[in-house]
Amino acid sequence: MKLSVRFVGLTALATALVAACAPQTSGTSASDKDEKTGTVRVWLFQEVDNQPKQRVVDAVTAGFEAAHRGTDVTVEYIPVETRAQRVKAAFNDPKSAPDVIEYGNTDTAGYVRDGGLADVTREFNAWSEAKDTDPTARQSVTVDGKVYGAPYFVGVRALYYRTDVFRELGLRAPKSQAELISTAKRIRAAKPGLYGLAVGGAYTYGAMPFIWADGGDLATDKGGAYASAIDSPAARRGIEAYTSLFGDDNCPAAKCAGMGGNDTVTAFASGKAAMAIGGDFSHAAVEAGRVKGKYAVVPLPGVEPGSIAPAFAGGNNIGVLKSTSHRTLAVDLMKRLASKKTQGELFDAMGFLPTFTDVRQQAAVEKPYVKPFVRTLAAGTRFVPASPAWAQIDSSLVLPTMFQEIVSGRKDVAAASADAAKKMDDAFGAAR
Amino acid sequence: MSRLTAPSGAERAEPRRVRVVHGSSRPRGGGRTPDRAPRPSGGWTPWLYLAPALLVLGGLLAYPVYQLGLISFLEYTQAQVSGGEPTRFRGLANYTELFADDQFWQVLLATVGFAAACVVCTLAVGCALAVLLTRVRAVPRLALLLAALGAWATPTITGSTVWLFLFDPDFGPVDRLLGIGDFSWTYGRYSAFLLVLLEVVWCSFPFVMVTVYAGIRAVPAEILEAAALDGASQWRIWRSVLAPVLRPILVIVTVQSVIWDFKVFTQVYVMTGGGGIAGQNLVLNVYAYQKAFASSQYGLGSAIGVVMLLILLAITLGYLRLLRRQGEEL
Amino acid sequence: MSAVRGRTVRRPWRLAAEATALLVAAVVAFPLYWMLLGALKPAGEIESTEPRPWTASPSPASFRRVFEQQEFGRYFVNSLVVAVSVVIASALIAFLAATAVTRFRFRFRTTLLIMFLVAQMVPVEALTIPLFFLMRDLGQLNTLGSLILPHIAFSLPFAIWMLRGFVKAVPESLEEAAYLDGASRARFLWRILLPLVLPGLVATSVFSFISAWNDFLFAKSFIISDTSQSTLPMALLVFYKPDEPDWGGVMAASTVMTVPVLVFFVLVQRRLVSGLGGAVKD
Repeated sequence: MKLSVRFVGLTALATALVAACAPQTSGTSASDKDEKTGTVRVWLFQEVDNQPKQRVVDAVTAGFEAAHRGTDVTVEYIPVETRAQRVKAAFNDPKSAPDVIEYGNTDTAGYVRDGGLADVTREFNAWSEAKDTDPTARQSVTVDGKVYGAPYFVGVRALYYRTDVFRELGLRAPKSQAELISTAKRIRAAKPGLYGLAVGGAYTYGAMPFIWADGGDLATDKGGAYASAIDSPAARRGIEAYTSLFGDDNCPAAKCAGMGGNDTVTAFASGKAAMAIGGDFSHAAVEAGRVKGKYAVVPLPGVEPGSIAPAFAGGNNIGVLKSTSHRTLAVDLMKRLASKKTQGELFDAMGFLPTFTDVRQQAAVEKPYVKPFVRTLAAGTRFVPASPAWAQIDSSLVLPTMFQEIVSGRKDVAAASADAAKKMDDAFGAAR
Repeated sequence: MSRLTAPSGAERAEPRRVRVVHGSSRPRGGGRTPDRAPRPSGGWTPWLYLAPALLVLGGLLAYPVYQLGLISFLEYTQAQVSGGEPTRFRGLANYTELFADDQFWQVLLATVGFAAACVVCTLAVGCALAVLLTRVRAVPRLALLLAALGAWATPTITGSTVWLFLFDPDFGPVDRLLGIGDFSWTYGRYSAFLLVLLEVVWCSFPFVMVTVYAGIRAVPAEILEAAALDGASQWRIWRSVLAPVLRPILVIVTVQSVIWDFKVFTQVYVMTGGGGIAGQNLVLNVYAYQKAFASSQYGLGSAIGVVMLLILLAITLGYLRLLRRQGEEL
Repeated sequence: MSAVRGRTVRRPWRLAAEATALLVAAVVAFPLYWMLLGALKPAGEIESTEPRPWTASPSPASFRRVFEQQEFGRYFVNSLVVAVSVVIASALIAFLAATAVTRFRFRFRTTLLIMFLVAQMVPVEALTIPLFFLMRDLGQLNTLGSLILPHIAFSLPFAIWMLRGFVKAVPESLEEAAYLDGASRARFLWRILLPLVLPGLVATSVFSFISAWNDFLFAKSFIISDTSQSTLPMALLVFYKPDEPDWGGVMAASTVMTVPVLVFFVLVQRRLVSGLGGAVKD
């Protein structure tokens, strides 16, 4: 056996032969086809209790198929946690991509930069219902003045708590951040089987209100370029407060460090937690759980007694993919999925807050449980940096990693937040 | 199970002896004809036979390897992939970025340590049980062989979920059995690695055990008996009769184990939920996957892949040198 | 042979060894037993904090849930199609290649052998990124082809390496005799050599079957949107949701996925052991 010159030569030759070809970029340019029949594929998010959503959507697709002869709508419900991979893979391969997707409003800028979403400004402005869209929601589908979808619902989080447990222990709904934390620990001490406040190391949007309430922010906008502010003293106070909730005296790190938002809601709904930070969209799941009739919702308290912590203005949109070969049909389906009628039905079924101001007002009148969420919205909401880098920061788990490092005791708040700030700045820098 | 003949050493001594294949026409497992140079010539025929293999390997192995290297030198993120921004050559920038990242070194260290632990445990368990197999009668031997085949046959993904279930803090039997309440195995870094290690050893020791067992059985009983009659101690029998026979086999199973355990993906991904709390259980493979497909830094992910490739290549070359030193002919 | 050897071992030691062997066998088999048990336990029992190693009332509910909720049958067929295609294609291609490198001497023969060996070491997972783009360009994403093609490539080097020993073991005199009888090269290849090497092919196919059947990473990365093309591993994970895993469903799905491999293994295990010996020795 000779590892000879021949071997090396052959390898070199092979290398030279293939060196001519470089990886291609996919043409995620707009498809020139606009077919009026065929299959329209839709990806929607899988919710904690998805059945009611599915029923509303089924009705919409049935109506769509009846209106457009020769069409067929297939809907797939994808898990929120792994959406980034799925959606990106779809951008990479237009052939297998869906035509219509639901996406989180934090992803808008990233998806637009990736060239995945179709510009529907013309159709959106011509849509009679669009004028009632609330301005924040409209902002969440807009990048550089162009509209890339229709708002689907507004998501805002508040504090769910167990009225029966509170009554039994003689507690009242907390009015300040400090009281929230002490209440949580008192419950845990009295009832070791319950988490006081269910928190999750991977629950970024449950943790953000703590940071905002303490006067911190994720990043500051310095004239179009973002710089991370997660390691500022104010932000660190918020991180400190949130991470102090992990431990045997409230939510044991071994269980809670890995939990995400859905996990905390599931824990509350199944009666394993006395409090949880849940959204209006969690309403149906909690109602379907064991705690039905034994809970109430209040705005999440801020630092000052009686104040409301700024909530994250979440929400989802419905967009059309640039690569669709059924553009007209896809836009029509988008409008049907995000119409006033559908949003009203989704509100009834799932508790999703409508994005149309008039529909939302109507909803608040009909269903009093919406009140704390509307109050939270009115108290002022915050948003993640409107940079394409955010989608990457989010999918690289920068903030969950930071929280998990702290609660597992691997790093202190200062070190972990400094590391996170560095990673965020790298991402902002790359996106510039 | 068909007997294996003693390897090269003995046969070299009497070359060109054509072995008669008794009874059945099928070649016995290792019953090999002496190493004779294959007939020369054939002209284009061998290349014709090789063509499909070369085509497949060239297109689906060599070409992707080349592409992997190429992408690792490019700025290649989602924007470039979907055509939003032009692809840019950035030289070694992906590598410098990688090497400047503490996490990369941590992951590399964890990968090496984890793979080493897996290899050592797999080999120890596999060899010990192979020896045990030669000491027992048919029924216990069959029981152990069947159990091992079962573990071997279990798909990695089902193995992972089943072991997770066994060690589940709420519903699993292990925590109950050990009386450690609701200890969460996946929370701590080392306990999570230990859990994955147990699963890896469970599904990979059978290969070692069966191979080594086959190797031991290949030593003619007469030789062992003669040695025993001569009053040789167990240790001496092992050293002077078994070890020389088993060495090439041990080298192969070691190299195979190193390669397999170095690239464990499914178990780590499934059992630690994609790399564990704050990425504590990442190994290179999962790390590359997360970089590329989760945060769409395909260039950086490819650079990690190249690092892995080079490490395994180094191991392979070391193995080839070892083979050559032993005078094996290809 | 073992009886002969057995006599040389003293009795108490042998009994201890046999007890150990049985104990180890029980421990090794336990996870599989627990899987089957978990699949058969009714929902109340599986989510009990006092797990018992038996069940008084086995129920097929979990299996039914698996086959009803997901299109599990279809995924099963998909997985089978992938594994069987890989096994057949790689066996034939490897057989030809192994014949070429063992029965002919030609330039670059040694080089090729080394390259096959080196190719074995290539970490499949590291190639996911370029393969993704390759499959996209070939228009194979979301098809079973995107799983079949790479697995053929990845199982080939090992298969060639392993088959070499079996092809070598066929005496050359047989080949000479065949030619003397006027057989053509093709006839010798397919009618004489192939049947003789069949046991080796079976042993080899175990490895390609397993690697294809187990595939998780490629399925996860290449089958993006068309769930009708999903394979079993992805389908199994549907039941394993991190927040509240449906353990009964996971165990039932795992059982369904494990059984075919077990059957395959039991069928070929004799060949496997001898095959490994052959490959390892050469």
